[in-house]
Amino acid sequence: MRRFLDRLYAAAAVLAAACLVAICVMMLAQAVGRGAGILIRGADDIIGWLCAATAFLALGHTFRHGELVRVGLWLDRLGPRGRWRCELFALGITLCFTAWMLWAIALFVYENWRDKYVTQGLLVIPEWIPQVSLVVGVAVFLVAVLDELLLVLKKEKPTYRRAEEDRRAAGDFSETV
Amino acid sequence: MSPLEAGIILFCLLLVLLVGGVWIAISLAAVAWFGLQFFTNSDPAPSLFQSFWRTGASETLAALPLFVWMGEILYRTKLSEEMFEGLAPWLGWLPGRLMHVNILGCAIFGTVSGSSAATCATIAKVALPELKRRGYDEKTCLGSLAAAGTLGILLPPSIIMVVYAVAAEVSIIKVFIAGLIPGLVLTALFSGYIIAWALLNPAKTPRDEMKYSFVEKLKKTKLLMPCMALIALVVVVMVKGWATATEAAAYGVLGALAIAWWSGGLSRDSFRHSLMGATRLSCMIMFILAGASFLSACMAFTGIPRALAEWVAALAPHKYTLIAILAGIYILLGAALDGVSMIVLTTSIVIPMVEKAGFDLVWFGIFIVLLVEIAELTPPLGFNIFVLQTMTGRDSSYVALASLPFFFMMVLAIALITVFPELATWLPDALVGVTKK
Repeated sequence: MRRFLDRLYAAAAVLAAACLVAICVMMLAQAVGRGAGILIRGADDIIGWLCAATAFLALGHTFRHGELVRVGLWLDRLGPRGRWRCELFALGITLCFTAWMLWAIALFVYENWRDKYVTQGLLVIPEWIPQVSLVVGVAVFLVAVLDELLLVLKKEKPTYRRAEEDRRAAGDFSETV
Repeated sequence: MSPLEAGIILFCLLLVLLVGGVWIAISLAAVAWFGLQFFTNSDPAPSLFQSFWRTGASETLAALPLFVWMGEILYRTKLSEEMFEGLAPWLGWLPGRLMHVNILGCAIFGTVSGSSAATCATIAKVALPELKRRGYDEKTCLGSLAAAGTLGILLPPSIIMVVYAVAAEVSIIKVFIAGLIPGLVLTALFSGYIIAWALLNPAKTPRDEMKYSFVEKLKKTKLLMPCMALIALVVVVMVKGWATATEAAAYGVLGALAIAWWSGGLSRDSFRHSLMGATRLSCMIMFILAGASFLSACMAFTGIPRALAEWVAALAPHKYTLIAILAGIYILLGAALDGVSMIVLTTSIVIPMVEKAGFDLVWFGIFIVLLVEIAELTPPLGFNIFVLQTMTGRDSSYVALASLPFFFMMVLAIALITVFPELATWLPDALVGVTKK
C-alpha cells in the first residue's frame, strides 16, 4: 500500500513535469512555425490545458513536499500537543473541503462527458478530455490529505513537515519566491 | 444582511482557518464556498469548477511555470561566480568598492530571475565569502545582499508580477516594463547609500588590491556575456513587443539551459531537480491563484468589494492617505503571509477600491511589489533574512538590523513612485500604449 501510494504521487508529479516541458516545447514550436509560415492550430488552447495539468496534477506531491504555503507563524510556537490539535484541525478541514471539491469537479466533468460538450476554441475536441487533469489532480490530492491525516492520528510527524524542516536545514531556498 | 456584515463574517472565518494552519489555497476556497452557500442564491459547485478551470487553463498563466523553471535552472549554474569575476574589476574605484558587486550582481541576476530569495542566495553564495576574505564590513555586506536580492522581483521577469497581473487582470508585459525604471531607481538608491556609508566610514573599506589593465578588464567582462545575452533574449523581446510573456519565458528556459550546458552545470540530475522544483513551486502558486479566483467569484456575487469601495470613496480620503493606509496594511500582512498570498488574498477587495480612487492598476502593481520586497526584508517572515541567516549562521535579528538602512531606501522608493507615478507608468505607456490591455 505504502509503495503504491508513493508511486501514485510521484507518477502524477512526473506527468505534471512532463506537461511543463510540453508547454515550453509547444511555445518554441509555435515561434519557429510562425517564422516558417506554419500556424499550429489551437496551440494556445493546448498550452492552456497543459498549464492546468501542470498546476493540478502535482498537487499531491507538492502537498507532501511541504510546499503548499500556510501561515506558520503561530503554528511554530505551539507545544507538541497544541501543534497536534492544529494539524488535526487543518487536515480535517482540508479533507472535508477537498472531498466536496472533488465531487463538484467530477460532477461537472461527468456532465460535460454525458452531454458531449466540445471545446470552444480553434481546436474542437470533447471538453472533458483536457478537464480530466483537474479531476485526477484533486483526487490524488484528496488521497494525499487522507494519507497525512492517518499519519497524524497515529501521532507521527506528517511528511510535509519533515520535508519542510529538511529543506530549511539544508539551506535550500530555490523553491521560494 | 448587508454586504459589509457578510464581509466581516467571511473575514473572521478566513482568519480562523489561516491561524489554524489550514493551507492558504484551501482557506480561500473554503471561505468562498461558505459565502456562496449562505449569503447568495448561487450554487457554489459550478462556480468552483469555472474559477479553477479558467485560472489553470490559460495561455497567459503558462508564463508562470516557465519563468519559475528558468530561475530554477539558473540557480544551479555557475552564473554567480562569473558575475562576480566580471563585475569586480569595474567597481574598484567607487567608494565602497566591491560592496557594489552585491547590488549590481543582484540587479543583473534579478533581470533574469523572478524570485527574490533565489537572487539573494545566488549572489550571496559567491559574494559573501569573497568579501569576507578581503575584509569588508560584514554588517553592510549582509544588509546590501538582503535588500538587493529583492530586486529579483522588481526587475522583470518577476514571479510576483505575473501573479499580480493574473489576479488583477492587467497585462503581464506592462507590469514587467513598469518595474524597469523603479528597479533602476532602487538600485541607484542602494548604491548611493553604500557610497555615502563608505565616505563616512573610510576605515571600513579595504584597499583596492586588484589592479587590472583595461584589456584584462574587458577580458573579465566577457564572463558577463551569457547573462547579458539572456537578458536580451527575454526582456528585450518583450519590451520590443516581439513576443508575448509566455513566449519570452520559453526562450528564457532555452537560454538558461544553454548557459547551464555551456558552463558544464547541466547534468541529468540538475535538470531533473530544476524541473521538479519548478513544477512544485508553480503548482503551489497556481493552486493559490485558483483558490483566490473562486473567492473573487464569491465576492462578485456578494457585492462586498463594491460596497467597500463605495464606503472608502464616500470617506473621500486624500490619495496619499489611502496609499499610506494600504502600505501599513500590507506591511502588517507581510508579517504573516508570503508575497504570493499577500497579493492574491487582497486583490479582489483592494483592486476595486484603488481603481475607484483613480490609481493606475499597473502603477499599483509596482507599489505592491515594493511592499512585498519590504516584507522579504523584515522579520518574522522575511525570506531573504532566512537565506542569509542559514548562509552565515548569524542571528536573524542581526541580519534584519543590518538591512535596516536599506529598508529606509525602499520606503524612500515607495514615496518616490507615489509622488512621481510616471516613474512606473511612463515607460509601459510609451512602449505598449495606454489603451492596450
